[in-house]
Amino acid sequence: MQMLADTRGRMRAELWASLVILAGVAILPTVMTNDYWRGVIVVSMYFAMLSIGWNLLAGYTGQFSLAPATFGMIGGYTTGLLAYHLNATGLSGIPAALIVAGMIGFILARIVMRLRGPYLALTTLSFAEIMRLVIGNSIDFTRGDLGLNVPSLFESRLIYYYAMLVVLALIQLGIYALLSSPAGLYLRAIRDDEVAAAGRGIMIVHWKTYAFTISAAISGLAGALYGHFAQLVSPEMGLISQSGLIISMVVIGGLGTLVGPIGGAFLVYVASELLREAGGYQLIIFALLVIVFARFFREGLWGLLSAGHERLMARRAAAPAE
Amino acid sequence: MLTLDLLINGLIIGVFYALMAIGLSLIFGILKVVNFAHGEFYMVGAYAYTLAALALNLSPWLALPLAFVVGMLVGLMVERTLMRPLYAGYGSWGLRRDEYAVIVTFALSILLINLVDKFIGPYGFRGPALVGIPRIYLGPVIVSGHRLFATIAATVVIIATLLIVRYSYWGRQIRAVAQNRLGASLAGIDPAKVSAIVFALAAGLAAMSGALLANIFNPTPDVGAFPAAKSYVIVVLGGMGSVPGAAMGSLVLGVLESFGGVYVSYQYRDAFGLVLLILVLLFRPQGLLGEKSREV
Amino acid sequence: MSYLFVHGLTMAFGGVRALESVTFGIERGELVGLIGPNGSGKTTLVNILSGHLRPDGGRVELDGRRIDGLRPEILARRGVLRTFQLTRVFPRMNAIDNLVAVGCALGLTQREAERRGSKIMEELSLAGLCGLDAGHLSGGQMKLLEFGACFMVPPKIALLDEPFAAIHPTMKEIMAAFIRRYHAAGQTFLLISHDMPVIVELCPRALCLDAGAVIADGLTREVLTDRVVIEAYLGEAAA
Repeated sequence: MQMLADTRGRMRAELWASLVILAGVAILPTVMTNDYWRGVIVVSMYFAMLSIGWNLLAGYTGQFSLAPATFGMIGGYTTGLLAYHLNATGLSGIPAALIVAGMIGFILARIVMRLRGPYLALTTLSFAEIMRLVIGNSIDFTRGDLGLNVPSLFESRLIYYYAMLVVLALIQLGIYALLSSPAGLYLRAIRDDEVAAAGRGIMIVHWKTYAFTISAAISGLAGALYGHFAQLVSPEMGLISQSGLIISMVVIGGLGTLVGPIGGAFLVYVASELLREAGGYQLIIFALLVIVFARFFREGLWGLLSAGHERLMARRAAAPAE
Repeated sequence: MLTLDLLINGLIIGVFYALMAIGLSLIFGILKVVNFAHGEFYMVGAYAYTLAALALNLSPWLALPLAFVVGMLVGLMVERTLMRPLYAGYGSWGLRRDEYAVIVTFALSILLINLVDKFIGPYGFRGPALVGIPRIYLGPVIVSGHRLFATIAATVVIIATLLIVRYSYWGRQIRAVAQNRLGASLAGIDPAKVSAIVFALAAGLAAMSGALLANIFNPTPDVGAFPAAKSYVIVVLGGMGSVPGAAMGSLVLGVLESFGGVYVSYQYRDAFGLVLLILVLLFRPQGLLGEKSREV
Repeated sequence: MSYLFVHGLTMAFGGVRALESVTFGIERGELVGLIGPNGSGKTTLVNILSGHLRPDGGRVELDGRRIDGLRPEILARRGVLRTFQLTRVFPRMNAIDNLVAVGCALGLTQREAERRGSKIMEELSLAGLCGLDAGHLSGGQMKLLEFGACFMVPPKIALLDEPFAAIHPTMKEIMAAFIRRYHAAGQTFLLISHDMPVIVELCPRALCLDAGAVIADGLTREVLTDRVVIEAYLGEAAA
C-alpha cells in the first residue's frame, strides 16, 4: 500500500507516466505517416489541454464546473474574431485568447463563489448554454452557426503537431509545479474540506478564483491553437456534449491525477475515431464507461493500473520469503 | 387580446414545465442531488407514447398511461443501479457524493440520448394528438384540442401529486425522509424504498410531460434537453426540494418566457430562464421559497 | 482589558436560543476549560470565536481588536486556531502536507513550514507518518494531526473542541503533555471537554455553560463542586 497512500510520491509517478505518454506521442509520426491520423492526434492534444484545465478545477479544487468546452470555444473565437475583424495574426490572437478566456473564467468564479455541488454545476451549465446561444445568435459579429474561418499558422500539419505537443508538455509541467507548491496544497485543501481549510487560514475566495482563472486560461489557449489548426471555429465547440466528452476523458483516465487527463484524452478521442468508422457507437460506449468507472472504479484507469502495480510489487516482495 | 393570449399560453407551457420540475424537486429533496438525466425521462415518455400509438396502434388515451408506467420503470431501474451508492455509506476516497451524482447522471443523459439515436433513429416523428379537434374557442382565446386536453390532464396529475405529497401516508414518508433521513429510518421508514418510489414517480411525471407534448415537440433523441434546462431553473427558483415552489415557479417561468419572447427578444427567449437562474443563485441561493441553510 | 474578551454573545437557531448573553474574559497564557452538559452551546461558542458562525448579538475582542463576524480565514491569520469535534484533516494529502498547508497559509515559506511540520509531528510521536496520506491514518492519529496543525504558527489562542473524545489513552497523554508544555511556555488555550479528570489536571480555571448561559466561572475545583453546575449536569434530580 506504499505508493497509493503517498500523494507526493504518486504525483511524481503520475508526472513520469504522463511524460512517457507525451514522449510516445512525440515519436509517433515516425511510424504514423497518415496525415488524417496525425490530425486526430492533434485534436486529441486539444482535448488533453481542456482535460488538464478541467481536472485542475474539478479534480484538484473540487469545483465541478460543467463548462470546460465553453472556454475552448471562447479561446477559439477570440483569436478567430481578432483575425476576422482586425486582421490580427495568431501571434496576437493566441495570447489574447488566453487572456480573454482567463478573464471570463475570473468572472464566472465570482458568480459561483458561494455555490456548492449541484448549484455550482447548474450555474456553470447555464453559463455554458448562454455563451453558446450568444455566440450562435450574434450572426453579424460571429457569423453564428456558420462558423468562423480562422487563418492558418503553419503550412504543414507536422509543425502544428509538434507545436501543440510542446505547449501541452509545458502546461503539464506547469501544472505539476503548481500542484507541488503551496498553492497546490491550498487547492487540494479546499477540495478535501473547505470548512477546515478556511479555519486554517486558506483564503477560499482567492484560491477558488485562481483555479477557475487558470483553468479557463489553459482552455482558452487550447481553443485558440485548435482554431488555427482546424481553420474553423463554431458554436458547436461549446456544446454540452463536448463538455461531457471532456469529463468522460478525465473520469476514465483518472480524476484528480496528473496523468488521467492526458491518458484519458488520447485514449478516448482516438478510440472514438476508430469507433466512428465502426458505426458511431462511441458516445454510448464512453457514457457507459464513465458510469461504470464512476460507480466502481473511482480512480479511473490510472487507479486500476497503479492498484494492479501495487499488488504485483507486494507479491514480488512476499515471494522471496518462501 | 394579446396579453390574455400570452398569459394563457404562458400558463399552459408552465403546467408542462411543472410536471418536470416537481419530479426534479422531489428527487433533490430525497437524495440531495440534481438529476442531470431528467430530460431523458421526458424523452423516454415521448417515445413510449409515440411508438405505442404509431407502432402498436394504441389509442393515445391508452398510450399516455403506458408512457407514464414506462417512465416509472426506467426511473426505478436507474435508481436501483446507479443511485444506491449515494446513501449506502459512500466512501470518502475518489468521488464524493455530489460529484458522483453529477457525473453519473450527466453520463446517463448522454448514454440515453445516444442509445435512442442509434437504435431508433435521429429523426423525429410526430406524436399523435389526444383529441383531433384543431381549434377550440375559449372566449377570446384559441387553443388546439390536444393542447387543451393535455393541459387538463397535466393539471389533474399535478394537483393529485401535490395532494398526495401533502396529505397521504406515502407523502408523509417522503417528506420525513427529505427532512431527516436518519431520523426517518429510526422511526421505521425505509429510506431506500422511499427513494425508489420518489425516483420512479419523478421519472413517470417527466415521461408524462414528454408524452403530452409529443404532439407539439416531436420526439427526437435530444428533445429532453430543452424542458430539462427549464426545470433546473424552476427548481432553483422555487427552492430545491419544495414541491409547491416548483409548481409556482413553473407557472412564473412559463408566463415570463411567453411575454419576454414577444416584448423583449424571441431569439433569446430560452436565455431568460438561464439568466434568471444565475441572478437568483447569486442573490438568493435558497431560491424564492426555499429555506436558508447554515454551514458547519 | 482581557486578552480574549467576550461580551453579551447571543445566538439563536430558528426558535432555539443557543447562547444567552455570554460574557467572560481570558487572559494571555491562561488554560481555561469549557464544560457543560450536551447542548449547552459550547461548540456554538467556539464556532463563533473561530468565525464559522456569525453571532446574532454581542461582541468578541482579541488583543484589543474586535473579531466577531470576521471570516474564519481572517481569524486564523489573526491567531485564532481550532480543532473540530468531528476530526477534520485533508485526507488526500500527505500528513506532513496537512501541516505545510497551514504553515504556508499563515505566512511561513515552504521550507520553514516543512521544518516546523516535521518538528511538530515528532513532538506528537507521528514522525514516521509524514509521507502517508492523512486519510490513511488511524482515527487517533488524525486527531493528533489536526491538533498539531493549530501550532504551526504560534496562535494567540487555541480553541480545542473535545480533543480527547474517543482516543486511545496513549494519544490522550501525548496531547495532554503537549498542552502542558506549551501552556508552560505561555500559550493560551480554551479547552472543551467532557473528560473531567483531564480538565481538573490541565485547567486551573473552568467555565460552565448550561442552556446557552454562563453558570459558573472560576477555579476548576470550585466550579466542579458548585451545586448549580452539578444540577445542570444531572437535571432536576440532584436538588
